[in-house]
Amino acid sequence: MADKDVKYQTREILQAEIDELRQQLEEANDTIEAIRTGQVDALVVQSENGHQLYTLKNADQTYRVFIEKMTEGAVTLNPEGLILYCNSQFARMVQLPLSNVIGIPFDTFIAPENMPHYNALFKTCWTDDCKGEVLLIAGKDRKPVQLSLTTLELQEGISLSIILTDLTAQKATQKQLRDNNSQLAEINQALEASNHDLQQFASVASHDLQEPLRKIQIFSNLIKENGIELTPLSRKYLEKIIVSSSRMKTLILDILNYSKLSASDLPHDCIDLNEIVEELLEDFELVIAEKGAIVDRGQLPCIDANRGQIRQVFQNIISNSLKFSKPGQAPVISVTSRQIGQRSFDSPESADGPYCLITVADNGIGFNEKYLSNIFTLFERLNSKDKYEGTGIGLAIAKKIIEKHNGLITASSSEGAGTQFKIILPVKQNIS
Amino acid sequence: MTFRKILLAEDDADDQKLFCDFLSHRQDIVIMPVVENGEELLTVLENTTSQDLPHVIVLDQNMPKRNGLQTLAALKAEARFSHLPVVIYSTYADEELVSNSMAAGAALVIAKPISKKGYEEMIDAILNLLD
Repeated sequence: MADKDVKYQTREILQAEIDELRQQLEEANDTIEAIRTGQVDALVVQSENGHQLYTLKNADQTYRVFIEKMTEGAVTLNPEGLILYCNSQFARMVQLPLSNVIGIPFDTFIAPENMPHYNALFKTCWTDDCKGEVLLIAGKDRKPVQLSLTTLELQEGISLSIILTDLTAQKATQKQLRDNNSQLAEINQALEASNHDLQQFASVASHDLQEPLRKIQIFSNLIKENGIELTPLSRKYLEKIIVSSSRMKTLILDILNYSKLSASDLPHDCIDLNEIVEELLEDFELVIAEKGAIVDRGQLPCIDANRGQIRQVFQNIISNSLKFSKPGQAPVISVTSRQIGQRSFDSPESADGPYCLITVADNGIGFNEKYLSNIFTLFERLNSKDKYEGTGIGLAIAKKIIEKHNGLITASSSEGAGTQFKIILPVKQNIS
Repeated sequence: MTFRKILLAEDDADDQKLFCDFLSHRQDIVIMPVVENGEELLTVLENTTSQDLPHVIVLDQNMPKRNGLQTLAALKAEARFSHLPVVIYSTYADEELVSNSMAAGAALVIAKPISKKGYEEMIDAILNLLD
């Protein structure tokens, strides 16, 4: 029984071997037939070392290897469109063994919907090289490929070479790009909408808020001027209305200035900071005299900047220094500058560096550095407005202007020990 | 005594009244009947003979139908009125309004005053234009 089983098994194995050999023989016969009929001029044979290519022309060998190694698919067709040769990359593309590809019509692998396009290419290519995109049938999938068709004059006659470039990755990248673009477009639209809202706001602030406010101001002034009989208390309240409405006017104007900073892209000129500080000291002449302030001014550079905006920065900082002086002590303010190599507060000095570091230092009341981030924030005030008037917008404006000039601003201080504002600005605006 | 005729276009009733109340005591000006907006101003001027035209026109910037700047442009485009000095006055007279108005041919741009004294100063500045 066992003996019989072994025999049976052996017979089965032998039969399988015979079948396989017969198939190989058939394939070999087919190949010989193909070579004999001129359909094939090279062979790729599967061996233990992978695919091996045998060509009938030794001179072609280097190119055969080259074609075999390249990442594009390559096929050679006869004028009837049968595949005479293909590289293994093409076989991988269509997910078939090489042996099954040779000798069959190339258009077997073209998606039906692309057949008209392929036929047109196939017609054109015999006179002119041409390119086109089609979907390649790859097993159950479709693969986008670019076909580059060129005719080759071989000894055996004319044939057609087609290089197939797999566009899958490219298409994916294109899709990604399209997706990203449409996402960007959406964000852009949202941004435009919010910009529009901001402009609306600016217009509301400039007119719709200011008109009623002016009425409050003018009619309060009218009551005050007309000498209408008022109790001392009413007069005091009226005074508060006048002061508050004037403060609100300042607030609205400051917000408007701030909102305009983001909208506008103002022109840059070569400006002399010495001149700007000089002008400001003239503007502050009264308060400087009143407080007996001393202002030390070092040599300042000329930089590319918007004059009006940079003037605003120095105006806000110097006016802060004058405002937040210690009671009973004359303010001492110094404005100095040096050239530095990098856009960083710890950059070493560099005589012809592309940036300047400007320091405005005072001996005023200072602030606790834990509030450093607050002082540049809109509406942040560290001091009560009873003692020091202001809207809390000045330094936010300064920061925004400096940032628009590709610069940096910071401050160092401790309570009661004065404040140092440090500003870095590019000397030229075109350095990046 | 010479006096100057002033034509005001102003849609805000309070501002119309303030303008007249604060300035009616002055002997050097005559305030013509106030018009509500730019449209009405143009209609009134078209029906006015040349000798009765105002010496100066004061336009509120923020008016319905035709704002100050638009009215200014229409006046400058009309040969009969283009020589008339035009003052734009507005609650909010920022650099943009000033430069746009001056470019369009305004003689002066003024922020609306908030006191009687402010109105007096405004009218002095306007009359200065005419000397």
